[in-house]
Amino acid sequence: MAQTSVKDKKSAPKVQNRPASRVLARRETISAYLFMLPSLIFFVGFVLVPMGMCLVYSFLDMGIDTSAATFTGLSNYVEMFQDKTFIRSLWNTILIVVVSVPLVTAFSLWVGSAIYPMRSKLRSFFRCVFYLPVVTGSVAVTVVWKWMFNPYNGLLNQIFGTVGFDWLGDTRTAIWCIIMILFTTSIGQPIVLYVAALGNVDRSLEEAAAIDGATRLQIFWKIKWPQIMPTTLYVLVITTINSFQCFALIQLLTRGGPLGSTSTLMYYIFDMAYNYQRFGYANAMGVVLAIFIAIFSAIQFKVAQSDNG
Amino acid sequence: MKRAISRRDFLKVTGAVGAASLLAACGDKAASSTAASTAGSTAGSTAAGGVEISLWTYPIGSWGGTTSKLDDIIAAFNKVHPEIKVTYETLDYQNGDNLVTSAITAKETPDIIMEGPERLVSNWGANNLMVDLSDLWTDTQDDIAAVSESVVSACQLNGAYYEYPLCMTTHCMAINYEVFEKAGALQYIDEATRTWTTDDFVKAMETVRDSGLAAVPGILYCGGQGGDQGTRALVNNLYSGTYTNADHTEYTANSPENVKALELLKSMVDNRSLNANAGFQASDELQQFANGTAAVTFCWNASNKAQYASQVTFTPYAMAFPSDDGVPELCGGIWGFGIFNNGDDARIEAAKTFIQFVCDDESQAAESVRLTGFFPVRDSLGDVYAGTDQAEQMGEFASLMPYLGDYYNVAPNWTAQRQNWFNMLQEIMVNGTPAQEAADAFVAASNV
Amino acid sequence: MPKTKAKKSSLDGQSQGYKIFVIIVLALLAVFFIFPLYWILTGSLKDAITINAQKPQWFPLNPTLDNYVRLFQQPAIQWLLNTIIIAVAAMALTCITAALAGYALAKKRFFGQTVLFSLLVCAMALPKQVIVIPLLQEMSALGLNNNLLAVILPTVGWPFGIFLMKQFSETIPTEMLEAARIDGASEVRTFVSIVFPMVKPGVGALAIFTFVNTWNDYFLQLIMLQKREVLTISTGIARLQGEVSSDFGLIMAGAALAAVPIVAVFLMFQKYFTQGITMGAVKG
Repeated sequence: MAQTSVKDKKSAPKVQNRPASRVLARRETISAYLFMLPSLIFFVGFVLVPMGMCLVYSFLDMGIDTSAATFTGLSNYVEMFQDKTFIRSLWNTILIVVVSVPLVTAFSLWVGSAIYPMRSKLRSFFRCVFYLPVVTGSVAVTVVWKWMFNPYNGLLNQIFGTVGFDWLGDTRTAIWCIIMILFTTSIGQPIVLYVAALGNVDRSLEEAAAIDGATRLQIFWKIKWPQIMPTTLYVLVITTINSFQCFALIQLLTRGGPLGSTSTLMYYIFDMAYNYQRFGYANAMGVVLAIFIAIFSAIQFKVAQSDNG
Repeated sequence: MKRAISRRDFLKVTGAVGAASLLAACGDKAASSTAASTAGSTAGSTAAGGVEISLWTYPIGSWGGTTSKLDDIIAAFNKVHPEIKVTYETLDYQNGDNLVTSAITAKETPDIIMEGPERLVSNWGANNLMVDLSDLWTDTQDDIAAVSESVVSACQLNGAYYEYPLCMTTHCMAINYEVFEKAGALQYIDEATRTWTTDDFVKAMETVRDSGLAAVPGILYCGGQGGDQGTRALVNNLYSGTYTNADHTEYTANSPENVKALELLKSMVDNRSLNANAGFQASDELQQFANGTAAVTFCWNASNKAQYASQVTFTPYAMAFPSDDGVPELCGGIWGFGIFNNGDDARIEAAKTFIQFVCDDESQAAESVRLTGFFPVRDSLGDVYAGTDQAEQMGEFASLMPYLGDYYNVAPNWTAQRQNWFNMLQEIMVNGTPAQEAADAFVAASNV
Repeated sequence: MPKTKAKKSSLDGQSQGYKIFVIIVLALLAVFFIFPLYWILTGSLKDAITINAQKPQWFPLNPTLDNYVRLFQQPAIQWLLNTIIIAVAAMALTCITAALAGYALAKKRFFGQTVLFSLLVCAMALPKQVIVIPLLQEMSALGLNNNLLAVILPTVGWPFGIFLMKQFSETIPTEMLEAARIDGASEVRTFVSIVFPMVKPGVGALAIFTFVNTWNDYFLQLIMLQKREVLTISTGIARLQGEVSSDFGLIMAGAALAAVPIVAVFLMFQKYFTQGITMGAVKG
């Protein structure tokens, strides 16, 4: 960074006159890129370049013996859309994101509003409690949940009196079990964020509205909601990211089973690459997933921006 | 909106960030020193005086796992060959294959790997990643063939030997002896031969169910990646079906015998003399057997018995799988060593030296086998457990060795068929798909 | 500012009934959220028979440290240390690079800005599974196999931090930057003395998010690290979990070792955590 400053310093001072705007624009571009250089090195090096390689590999029939790869054109892509597990995984991925993002956001906002007016000790207590699964680590939490779901001596069946019911082995319940665990490991941060955001809400506006006879609900929607909107945007983004990154749960609990009912694209790509050792096919699915996520993120961002503005 | 930020808050955050960067600085240092040491170890072959090789083992008795005896083995090796330094990694079955795949992709494979032919030969060997070990076989092939011809054929592919075997066993099942005794189900087993017929098996399981002594008579696990040998052997034996054709080129799970067996199992699931769990892997089933929930396990061998010894409070009694003709054909397990071809002749030679020492050295071979908890593949080693305190407990497994059946694990598409197999069991046992239909689907998906 | 909330109950005037309902619901949920950690801690003190018993023992009646003795026969401390190194290094590098880039994206007008920002937004949620094979080959080409940097570097490359810091930097009043320029401050001085102090809250939020996420990023660690001495606590625990036999006592001890330090840090620095995020209310 030091070099940046030296270069900029030489020319920056007192160039106030507008005519040289093209020079200025160029200078600004250079300095902007210098500021971004450290980030870009990492981003290009460890995200874009691998993504490019991924695209190339997606046209190959490549196995674990990478030297024996052959070009197969679009056949990986064609195969994908005839692959039932792929379709299932795509659907599961969408399901997880579509269910868990609004659920986590709404629930954490509720918990946030519920614990925010409490005495500070109690508030801290609940905040910590909901943060615990986040900091305990997903591998450790998963081990406990696996036992809780055990059909014969797991905790859940003992509570519900349904001994013998195989939560993780039933195609109808397995994905919901995953979503629930994901839920417990996801709401910690949003709650902390919302409690904080509610603390920053301008109280004088609230009081004025209360004097004017606004109901609690009105106060919430008209006054609090707009003010915590930025936090909501942030929560939406991190929850989406968390949902797309959900991997350890699936790998350690169900390995995508039973019958592909908990397989997500992230898991299926891994499974294809590592267990079936079909690198070309896995990368082709990766490309499709990347496009899918890019579109999703772009839409989410646009919507949130327009809401915000 | 930011007016609430006090000076103190600033200081706190600054402090936190400062501390973080400080830690990060140390962190980078630590990371690079790790890098240095790693680099040092992989570049071992050029080190003055000696060669350094690495050995990765799957959990095969005390050769791997969390209480590995590898240090002792390497120490014994170094007494004879001090010039070769051996480092090791113990893999687990859960993630072991992933690690090896990572290592292959990163071109950083270990020199020696210890597992069975389905990985060493059918996967890595078939992908031209392994060294041909024919020279190790020259003196010992007859000795190994005397125990089992199928071991010899399992270790080779297109004329090259990609595995040099150390030990073998038969996978069997086990019953909770006390539960069977109290339930009055012992009458259905032949204790002298540890065998039972299909009819007796059905009756025994129903007797156990009716006794209520165990929460479930038995659990048919339909998930996971391993332990498939147990469910395969169960299905194949009930009506003497086969898993593949004689040449090991096609899967035959949809043969009339196998379909009949699958239908029988489904009827047992329906009448609660068996349970089927799609979410269960072999380890989950074993856990339920070990704590007395289930009265039988379909995934048993000497190694599993040793692993669970500290948890069981009853007598796990090893049994052959039930068979209509009373003559079981058990699946064999073969474990041995392969060498990844890393192009460095010195390390390949050193790896061969190590393998020869642990498998063939007169003072070491028997001990190497004993540490696996299995049986030698070489006839000349005789009974390696005679006179040791393991003798008694190994006796029950030794008596099952004669039932060793065909070793078909070298059939093509092995990894994919394993998943298909479990999917088929789930379809039939849990979702109620007709056995013929699911078995046909399995065969169609697995035969390439 | 938290202190002032003590006596505003009249405003939030929730009915007594609702308050009781909230407390009951939260208390029930609390049990649910505390339980895993409780079970890990107590489970780590149970022997093999008890932990796998048919009837769960709610409290270890015969506590044993045996699991910990066996855990420390593994390089568990090294694993913990590796995890800390990875999380802290990724956190610091991400914060620094993202603060610089976020500022430039928010406050400078330059060629390729829109394209670049769109690219970053689109890549933000990209799971690492997509690029794992090329990444692995790249790391091997860089000689970083089995090196903690192989986990750290891709984590830093992940563009979420830039996005977050860009959002924060938008709140910096442009007049202040103009004023600094008129005063002849260099770019770097402007950044250090004006920009950074203003986006610090964002850096705090990003630091926490990156730290926790990296700590829990099991996947990248699983793929990049194979040798026992470079494992992290998560991958270490996972390795203790075999296919045919799960030594739950040992796993619980490992899980406890993983959880206790970070939970303790969280409890101790709760204020910093929450205040770091407090101000992290992205631009209004």
